[in-house]
Amino acid sequence: MKSKALAAVGVTVVAALALAGCSAGSGSTSSGGSTKLHIYAWSGEIPDSVIKGFEKETGITVSVDNFDSNETMISKLAAGNSGYDIVEPSQYAVPLMVQRDLLAKIDKSKLTGFDNIAEKFVNPSFDKDNEHSIPWVWGTTGILYNEDCTGAKVTGWKDLWNPKYKGKIYMLDNMLSAYIGGMQVEGLKATSTKKSEIEEGTQALIEQKPLLAGYNSDNYADLVATGDACIAEAYSGSASAKAVASNPSVHYIIPEEGGTLWTDSFSIAKNAPNEDAAYKWLNYTLQPEVAALATDDGASASANEAALKLVKDQTQVTNPAIYAPADSLKKSEFIVDPGDALAYYQDGWTRVRAS
Amino acid sequence: MSRTRRDNLAGALMMVPASIVILVLVIVPMVIIARDSFAVSDPLGGNLGGFTLDNYAKLLDPVYAKTMGYSLGMAVLNAIVCTVVGYVVAYYIATRPARRQPLLLLLVIIPFLTDFLVRTFSWITLLGSGGPIIGLAKLVGIPATSLVPSQAAVVLSLLYAFLPVAVFPIYASMRAIDPSLREAAADLGAGWWQTHARVYVPLSASGLASSVMLTFVPTLGVFVIPVLLGGGKDPLVGNLIVTLFTEFRNEPLGAALSMVVLVLMLVTVALAGVVTRVVTKKRSA
Repeated sequence: MKSKALAAVGVTVVAALALAGCSAGSGSTSSGGSTKLHIYAWSGEIPDSVIKGFEKETGITVSVDNFDSNETMISKLAAGNSGYDIVEPSQYAVPLMVQRDLLAKIDKSKLTGFDNIAEKFVNPSFDKDNEHSIPWVWGTTGILYNEDCTGAKVTGWKDLWNPKYKGKIYMLDNMLSAYIGGMQVEGLKATSTKKSEIEEGTQALIEQKPLLAGYNSDNYADLVATGDACIAEAYSGSASAKAVASNPSVHYIIPEEGGTLWTDSFSIAKNAPNEDAAYKWLNYTLQPEVAALATDDGASASANEAALKLVKDQTQVTNPAIYAPADSLKKSEFIVDPGDALAYYQDGWTRVRAS
Repeated sequence: MSRTRRDNLAGALMMVPASIVILVLVIVPMVIIARDSFAVSDPLGGNLGGFTLDNYAKLLDPVYAKTMGYSLGMAVLNAIVCTVVGYVVAYYIATRPARRQPLLLLLVIIPFLTDFLVRTFSWITLLGSGGPIIGLAKLVGIPATSLVPSQAAVVLSLLYAFLPVAVFPIYASMRAIDPSLREAAADLGAGWWQTHARVYVPLSASGLASSVMLTFVPTLGVFVIPVLLGGGKDPLVGNLIVTLFTEFRNEPLGAALSMVVLVLMLVTVALAGVVTRVVTKKRSA
């Protein structure tokens, strides 16, 4: 019995090593005229029309896999031999991936049309000189509310701390997103790395918890649209835009205390098997008429300035749930990775969730 | 080669495919998780390997104990509710005419051909402000708004999610009970309560034990229901593990918590085994 068990463990160890060996042996074969391109992107951010158009123009066959969090994407790439050429990290994930050596440096001389990118996404705080990322779509973290339910205009985060709406408030079920509200409502920067400030944010979130209906990143927009929720911390984009379009009482605003920007960019994976095709993809998507499809077919805001006037449905460009008005973004900052301060956020968030 | 040896060999050979499946799909992943639970993590989310007990030490934080306690409570509650309701359903089915039983069992399974997430979302519609339950409440004058999010909604949808798992083992053990025992109990003057307490419950004990085990264990791993129907304010341990692996990008800590849950599950299985054996022994004695 004992020897059998030992044998089983032995076999298991060998199998585990074999598996590890498979993933460690990453062979990169970069060929000049690749006919394939493997993309790993956020679900819903690359419309089919963009992929079809690229395939037609270049004759390259594209395969797309989707992820629903940066962390999932990073762990898949970190495991090695993912086979992906183009990945689509959010702003805070870019430096993380650069530090872990998962992204290739982009050779700007191979790009055409980079000057179409809007000024605020050129040389951003998270990626000096866009060495590793070419912004594709962007958005904001703000507030979605139903005026029938609140009975008043909502202007900022403080309204998510208003006891009047008790049991009708939702916060995003995501640590860094929830802390945007928690920090900014206290007048702090959402990107703070100071322990004492993060503690203030934690206290604000703990204080808020009894007022909440819950933490939700899945169907908050529907809840606000139907009036089951009055007010919710929300991401801009298709879900919020749909809620705003479906009900004239539903509004999306950037909170007066600040607000934050996010952007999802195209990057080339380190050791991409089809590097050549990856550059073709970057150049294809830098064209204004292609970038405009992100709004027309995907209800996302394009980072391509020249694309804006090419969007067919111009009401999308003036819809704050897709394109936040420029003046509301003055105080907005990019959420960046807190680095070593992440531990303070994690410690705080664990306490918020258990409180 | 003697006949028995050849039979043994054939038997062993036939075990090979199943053993390989279990080895690759169950044991290997578990060994990897067990190994990771002692690994060192870096702030970027890397798994540096090495050996440390820090991950387990971190789990001593009362915050984790609280979530663990809440999850265990929820799992116990769900196991009891499912087993009680499962008993009623199984008794009903087992006492119908034999040719109608398969149809009734099929009715229990049919909803489960639909995706789990879709069924969870349909509970939101059923219990939500525009749903039939609230509509009915308003009709009779009860001022209700929405049952989502609430603890009641969580308990209800957990019951719904795990009921078939409870019905089947109880039904299986009830089918083996001779129907004439019920008549005998009635002849001896046993009422409804005594018939169940002294005949049906003891005779279906092994099914009841399996039901408790099969509902308790997976409830500990649930993470979608508390978010969608409970508002996500009271996370179960499953939610915590997801958070540790993704947002906190701390695979080793997530692995350590998974190991703790795994050990708890094994203890439960072992306990259920002991209880069943004791009860069975008592009965045959």
